[in-house]
Amino acid sequence: MRSTSQREARLPIDDAPQEGTVHRLEIDGHRIGLVRVDGSLHALADRCPHRGAPICSGRITTPIEVRDGELGLGERASILRCPWHKWEFEIATGRCVVDPRLRVRKYAVRLEGDEIVVTLEHP
Amino acid sequence: MLIDCDIHVGHETLADLHDYLDGPTRELVSSSGTNGLAMPSYPWNHPAGWVRQDVYDRDTSVGGFPFLSLDTLRERHLDRYEVSMGIVEPDEAAAFAIIPNSQLAARLCSAYNDWLLERWLEEEPRLRGMIVVPAQWPEAAAREIRRIGSRDEFAGIFLPGAARIPYGNPVYDPIWHAADELALPVAVHTHFESVGIAGPVTAAGMPDYYGEYHTLCGSGMYGHFVSILCHGVFERFPSTRLAMVEGGLVPFVGFLWRLDTNWKSCRGEMPWCKRRPSDYVWDHVRFATQPLESPDDPDQLVRAIEFLRPAETLMYASDFPHWDFDEPEQTLRQLPAEWRESVRWRNAQTFFRLPVAAPA
Repeated sequence: MRSTSQREARLPIDDAPQEGTVHRLEIDGHRIGLVRVDGSLHALADRCPHRGAPICSGRITTPIEVRDGELGLGERASILRCPWHKWEFEIATGRCVVDPRLRVRKYAVRLEGDEIVVTLEHP
Repeated sequence: MLIDCDIHVGHETLADLHDYLDGPTRELVSSSGTNGLAMPSYPWNHPAGWVRQDVYDRDTSVGGFPFLSLDTLRERHLDRYEVSMGIVEPDEAAAFAIIPNSQLAARLCSAYNDWLLERWLEEEPRLRGMIVVPAQWPEAAAREIRRIGSRDEFAGIFLPGAARIPYGNPVYDPIWHAADELALPVAVHTHFESVGIAGPVTAAGMPDYYGEYHTLCGSGMYGHFVSILCHGVFERFPSTRLAMVEGGLVPFVGFLWRLDTNWKSCRGEMPWCKRRPSDYVWDHVRFATQPLESPDDPDQLVRAIEFLRPAETLMYASDFPHWDFDEPEQTLRQLPAEWRESVRWRNAQTFFRLPVAAPA
């Protein structure tokens, strides 16, 4: 990470996570995981809204779905699975797959030149 | 102060027990089957893994139950949550009680208990072990209890929910006698139902999914619970203490209400159960919290379990490092404030007779 201020973190674009991996960072005590899904970057709070687990140490997976009565795979590497109780969350929305009332908090991510900027603002 | 009455540790493979096995058993462990002796295991797999993903290294793990190191246990659990004392329950060693060869089971149990003592209990004074016994051979189980049960490092006796017949049956009297003699509590803990020589997890037949099994796996424990009460174990062995671990809480309420009613009509066939069955529970039985039932409205849980006299009978349990781990503060927050101190440590300290003192 190149720099961290009170409200934001900057890192070189070359340090951006590959699909299926998490880049961890911290802003003002907030632990955050930066994840790439289908080319887009998403910043998620490292706290599961179910029981407070460090969700960014969970596994990024591809959801198993039923479509037209047949088993299939959803969007590749689009789910973050909590390492404790295995609840699944959509990385793009933070929404819990099994309980839509729960969401992992998301933070704003933007590109500035050759840097990725993550802030504590909501996206 | 926090006492956790359900922490799991285990060997990764039977080869880990090599140095603790007698010669003939060592030969069987290394020569049986194709790649050495295999234990019976669940026909279901958790779709996302048995244990918390943040406590083991999948790339280096070789066993069905990924190995947890003592350092990881300290870092991720004992130190992090300031656990004063933790009761160690087995992982795969629970299967020794449901393999067909009872002589082999007895030898494996002894090796595991010696391994547990040397590798974990003597190394970490915050841990106390539960003795694993060959429940399918009660006389040998009693010998194992007497062999090591007086050591301070062991806090009680482990019996899995999986069994051939329920634990109140007189065939198990040698185990209850030994437990009574050494004043050791017995924990019945859900494990390996439908596996090995154990009965099926439900009379409906075998579930298809792990999620079904895990919802129903307490059925063995409920069978043992009712059997122990009806056979008068607490009359015949009056210093017996029994913990029901990982069977939930709410089901016990319904079973007790139903049993209390049936006892009034049927006590002629079970005269050894002299008092109303639930009356024995308050004096002899304690319940571990995990997995705490979690309705959307926590008040519904409180109302549902009030009959169990939770301030006297509940003991905190985490089930670390399994996937359904219950974090201590999250558990206690769901219970009324006036129950929490007892659930956090007092009930377990009294039940297991642990050497911890009340905070100044």
